[in-house]
Amino acid sequence: MYKMTTLSCVLFIILIVTRAPLVLSDEVARGIKPPAVFEDDMGCLLCHKYPKMGRVTEDGERRVYYIMPHVFANTVHRNVPCTDCHSYIKQLPHRKVERGVTCNAICHSIKNPASGKNFSHKPIYDVYKKSSHFRPKRAEGDERDKPYCITCHTNPVYNPDEEALPTEVTDRCMVCHEDRKFVNNWYKHTSRRINKVKRSGKEIVELCSSCHGDEELIQRHVQAAAGGGRELGRKYKIAAKSYKESFHGKVTSYGFTKAASCLDCHANAENYYLSVHDLRPSRDEASPVHENNRLKTCQRCHKYADENYAALDPHPTSDKTENPFRFYAELIYAWVGDTVFVALIALSIFETIGRKRDGVGWRLRDGSSWARRRTKRGRDRVISTENL
Amino acid sequence: MKLSNEARRILETSMVINKTSDAERQEVEDVVALMPDDRVFLYKNVVSNPVGDLPRYSIHIRIQHMLTFVTFLTLAFTGLPIAFFEHYWATPLNTMMGGVNVTRVIHRTLASMMIFAMVYHVLTVLLGTLMKIKQGNFELARSIIPTMKDARDFKTDMLYFAGRVMQRPEMDKFMYKQKLHYFAAAFGNIVMVVSGSSFLFPEFWASVLPASIAAHFQEMMRISHPHEALLALLVVAFWHWYNVHLAPGRFPMQWTFLTGKITREHQIEEHFLEYLRCLVEIPKERQLLTVMLEAQNKAELEGSNKSSGG
Repeated sequence: MYKMTTLSCVLFIILIVTRAPLVLSDEVARGIKPPAVFEDDMGCLLCHKYPKMGRVTEDGERRVYYIMPHVFANTVHRNVPCTDCHSYIKQLPHRKVERGVTCNAICHSIKNPASGKNFSHKPIYDVYKKSSHFRPKRAEGDERDKPYCITCHTNPVYNPDEEALPTEVTDRCMVCHEDRKFVNNWYKHTSRRINKVKRSGKEIVELCSSCHGDEELIQRHVQAAAGGGRELGRKYKIAAKSYKESFHGKVTSYGFTKAASCLDCHANAENYYLSVHDLRPSRDEASPVHENNRLKTCQRCHKYADENYAALDPHPTSDKTENPFRFYAELIYAWVGDTVFVALIALSIFETIGRKRDGVGWRLRDGSSWARRRTKRGRDRVISTENL
Repeated sequence: MKLSNEARRILETSMVINKTSDAERQEVEDVVALMPDDRVFLYKNVVSNPVGDLPRYSIHIRIQHMLTFVTFLTLAFTGLPIAFFEHYWATPLNTMMGGVNVTRVIHRTLASMMIFAMVYHVLTVLLGTLMKIKQGNFELARSIIPTMKDARDFKTDMLYFAGRVMQRPEMDKFMYKQKLHYFAAAFGNIVMVVSGSSFLFPEFWASVLPASIAAHFQEMMRISHPHEALLALLVVAFWHWYNVHLAPGRFPMQWTFLTGKITREHQIEEHFLEYLRCLVEIPKERQLLTVMLEAQNKAELEGSNKSSGG
């Protein structure tokens, strides 16, 4: 027994010693970079480095609390210490989290290089707060359907443009800035905002449609609005669907970039990046699609647009209640189309039967299509080509 | 054969217009007299060249058909994937044509070509008609203009197909089907041009129309463009192609759109009145038909001899 235990220990140690480098080299082989460790002053990774760390909430929702150090080290928040956002954590192990992170916190560790003040997303958060999309982080009921910051800001951790930085650019920075890590981070910071900051029209439509095209969500809000006597936009129910049927929507779905997407009309072109956080209903005078501003919005692309033009419907629909004119016009078109189609095919069949009865053949051979002899009606072809 | 009043009138008019000499008149009358009373028997017993025997379309009409044919199909293939973008075939078809960045250029370029073909056609027809009127040889019945006769022809033809009458009607150069198709295509063309222009120049249409109808007009155009296109495509694919490719006697293809000529048996069957004009205008046709009719009589005689001998 004693011998066995010693042997087991020895084998275990040998296993550990021999396998450990293998595990590492395996990670390298699979392309997972060795952890680029970020500042973990608080020792959060002591627990959060474990992949299976997580729980199932009371609502049955799965929560993962695992932090992948090598992934987090590449995100935009890599330089922010955990407790700047998770400011409610004062001790380890920490208590049950009640509040969660909000995006309007003020960082204590990061300074705004322009103003020298502590960095915060609060200014843009305050703009968002005035928009019709606003909801608090911990919202209840239908409010939860509204987007919080992270609904749109999904912060992709992998950016192919950052895979291999162009040294012909960064080397030039290095001449004065000396620190390669600083230069690389700055390059990533600026290039991400230059190359990838704006979603394409197609992506914008997909993003907006993820809520505005969700039938269940729409119904929930229509009912809630009816119950609460609240007014909804005229196009609220069909916003995404009707846009997709418009010419703008159709060509945008094919990746065409010059046609208007949702934000081209619903956000203000002046100060666009602030405006997308401040979307208002069309009945709000600040909205670019408010009837007072609509013409100006159209004219951004359609230079020669006039009042009549601004009255054209950019959200066309054939819904009977929304647009009866179009509904009936389309119905008549469909009836005419079907009737013509059926009538012409019927005529062709009728004609074929009629002519076949008199002995017509499919092909014109030996100088005639009527070479088939003996039809019931007589009058069959009597000559053959040799007679001539 | 004894010609019907209508056929007789057409023949006389044609001979007057062509200033047919007395000798030629006699030739025409002779060959007409030789024709069997039953037109079915006539067109069953002539010899036809599949690529065509008798002139029908001028080179202008053939070029216009070619332009319309090529532009129409390409316009449909570049336009339909956009209009019906949600269908499974739309994206592959659009990608195959080079994506929307390419197809929008193709679509507009070909639309201009189609409009050119349309203008070219209207000019050809107008100037041709004016010249004929000036020379005094314009015949309304020979033109594409629909008349009451077409309704009668349609009725008789339906009765023939149903087996209720023994002969198809005596139809002119353009029969009821062709007139219907021609004006449907002309109407469709105008709808496509107007609605297409309302996509390309929406500001223009909004500014020239009164405010009360500008929005309705645009809505109407938005649905008209794809619906009319689809209707046209269906009519072409299921009717026009049936008539010129699949119909018995026309299979696998009628060559008229390339050669400009129609086969003899087809001319007699569906355009008998025009065939009478051919007899007046083309002396060689009189000789050829005479030979064929004599051969037919001979064959008939032989046939009856055989049967009486047997």
